Amino acid sequence: MLNQKSSEFVAVPQAKTNGWEILRYQFMQIWQVLAALLIIYAVFFILSPAFRNVDTLLSIFSQGAILAVLACGTTVVLISGGLDLSVGSIFAVVGVVVGVLIKEYQLAYPLAILGALAAGTCLGALNGVIQVVTKVPAFIVTLGGLTAYKGLAELLGSGKDLSRFPEGFQMLGSGYLAPICIMVGAAVLTGLFLTKTRLGNHAFAIGGNEEVARLSGVKVARSRIYYYMIGGMFAATAAILEVSKLNFAQSSRGVSYELFAIAAVVIGGTSLFGGRGSVGKTIIGMMIMQTIIVGLAYLGVGTSFQRIAIGTIIILAVYWDVWRRQPR
Amino acid sequence: MEHKKSAKIILQARGLSKHYGGVVALDAVDLDLHEGEVLAIVGDNGAGKSTLVKALTGAIAKTSGTIMIDGREIRIDSPADAKAAGMETVYQDLALVNEISITKNMFLGREIVKDNLLGKLFGTLDFPKMDAKIQVLFKKLDIRITDIYRDAEAFSGGQRQAVALAKTVMFGKRIAILDEPTAALGVRESKMAMDLVCSLKDHGLSVIMITHNMQHVLNHCDRVIVMRLGKVAAVCDVADVDGDMLVGLITGTIDKKVESKC
Ligand SMILES: Nc1ncnc2c1ncn2[C@@H]1O[C@H](COP(=O)(O)OP(=O)(O)OP(=O)(O)O)[C@@H](O)[C@H]1O
Ligand SMILES: [Mg+2]
Repeated sequence: MLNQKSSEFVAVPQAKTNGWEILRYQFMQIWQVLAALLIIYAVFFILSPAFRNVDTLLSIFSQGAILAVLACGTTVVLISGGLDLSVGSIFAVVGVVVGVLIKEYQLAYPLAILGALAAGTCLGALNGVIQVVTKVPAFIVTLGGLTAYKGLAELLGSGKDLSRFPEGFQMLGSGYLAPICIMVGAAVLTGLFLTKTRLGNHAFAIGGNEEVARLSGVKVARSRIYYYMIGGMFAATAAILEVSKLNFAQSSRGVSYELFAIAAVVIGGTSLFGGRGSVGKTIIGMMIMQTIIVGLAYLGVGTSFQRIAIGTIIILAVYWDVWRRQPR
Repeated sequence: MEHKKSAKIILQARGLSKHYGGVVALDAVDLDLHEGEVLAIVGDNGAGKSTLVKALTGAIAKTSGTIMIDGREIRIDSPADAKAAGMETVYQDLALVNEISITKNMFLGREIVKDNLLGKLFGTLDFPKMDAKIQVLFKKLDIRITDIYRDAEAFSGGQRQAVALAKTVMFGKRIAILDEPTAALGVRESKMAMDLVCSLKDHGLSVIMITHNMQHVLNHCDRVIVMRLGKVAAVCDVADVDGDMLVGLITGTIDKKVESKC
């Protein structure tokens, strides 16, 4: 039977696999968002004279850096078809935790950082475990987390003066260089995780089609918990950076950060519906958002209008994602 | 098709049932799979064929029933258990993830990890090795898909089915279970898929195949199970039946008494 070979399966062109082709392929994936970033930057560059200097550019990057670190985790969670609305509150908890560990427990700051990272990772794990065990949708579980973790942050931080940290700790988030380096590090690690490791690859499979992944023997529940842990860990990293930068910790920080992170991920072109995306796109998405925020501020547009602009952009970005997915 | 009457029974299910609330999708089904045969499962839409395969392979929790391999009872509570027992399954409409490449689909859940420290610590994947294995296999099976780096979404139904079947060749240790491998395929693709099914047999696997195509049953299968309303309506040697009779058994116009001579 096998001898009667036929050519039913028409071949598609052979893929080129050398480094140049791979680079070209990756550029093809991001050129649209990159172009959007450049155009938006150019618009503000033309409109506002004050916008035209290197300091502005650097402050866009360094301000975006903290949120971009947070968004690295959000990218992983969204690719896996999950959703985490609680990272802003995890951010608040971890900020307070690192402050308390350094100021109240007099812990050396590297240990305090480790403790804070562990706290964020645990809260992320809790999100995942609750979902996997109860089968309550991610939206509800992490919406609960958004409120509950906020309360936890207030309990831990109320009435405490968490400011004036050791100099070494202050270095992490201050200036331009350190936050940008940490952002690049976070993005590179996330990118390697998503493209090179088994767990990272499973995020795309689970986000793409959870049932097929399950039937293929992927440990879906366990993997999901890991993705939420990664989300919590990056939220913690971002919180530590911000506490270091501001030189104080407060339970009121982090409000709406989860929405900024989701916005950056979606503007970058990672699908809100799972299965597709990359962390490079998220970084560009975050820079687009920061450019708009900073640019509007330079044009004298108030924060209320900035919020309206960002909200509109989020809806447009998701609309674009929906539109792209429709068969034409 | 040659048929070894004396072949030993490799897979056996007894009293397999699946209830969805009040709906009885599968009602005390018995099934024997002989070593080296191709066993067809036929029946109307909603007869319970897919449910049988899913209950057999741990894709759904069965309400009751036992499964034996080589005469020994084994627990199959998850797809992983079935794979460990040597069963490789292509589920209806659930074969590939659209969003990931052919390579990643082929090895999904069984990726090859790099044989170094990074691999052990972080589970970094050995894509060159996986690509190479696929290329060798596709060449052997005459599957002409070279662009295995592209997302599965980009391929035609025939190509996708070929990939799913190739997966069973690569990983199937003893038993391949295929739920409508030629559904929605054109004449040429359909023939190619059936060639792959036969090559599974040539590779020494025992095959269970669900199909609506009576010609495929008559030309390529050794025995056939006819299902109706969640029950086994008849079990026949293909040599003893013709197309009209199968249709009669499926629709219920021929009832069990006539069938008993099978
Ligand atoms: N998840 C479910 N919940 C409730 N009923 C179900 C479920 N899955 C299947 N059924 C019912 O079980 C019966 C058998 O379905 P099954 O998919 O096994 O049929 P089938 O023989 O494979 O049909 P087809 O030829 O169309 O693939 C149907 O009546 C179906 O409605
Ligand atoms: Mg079916």
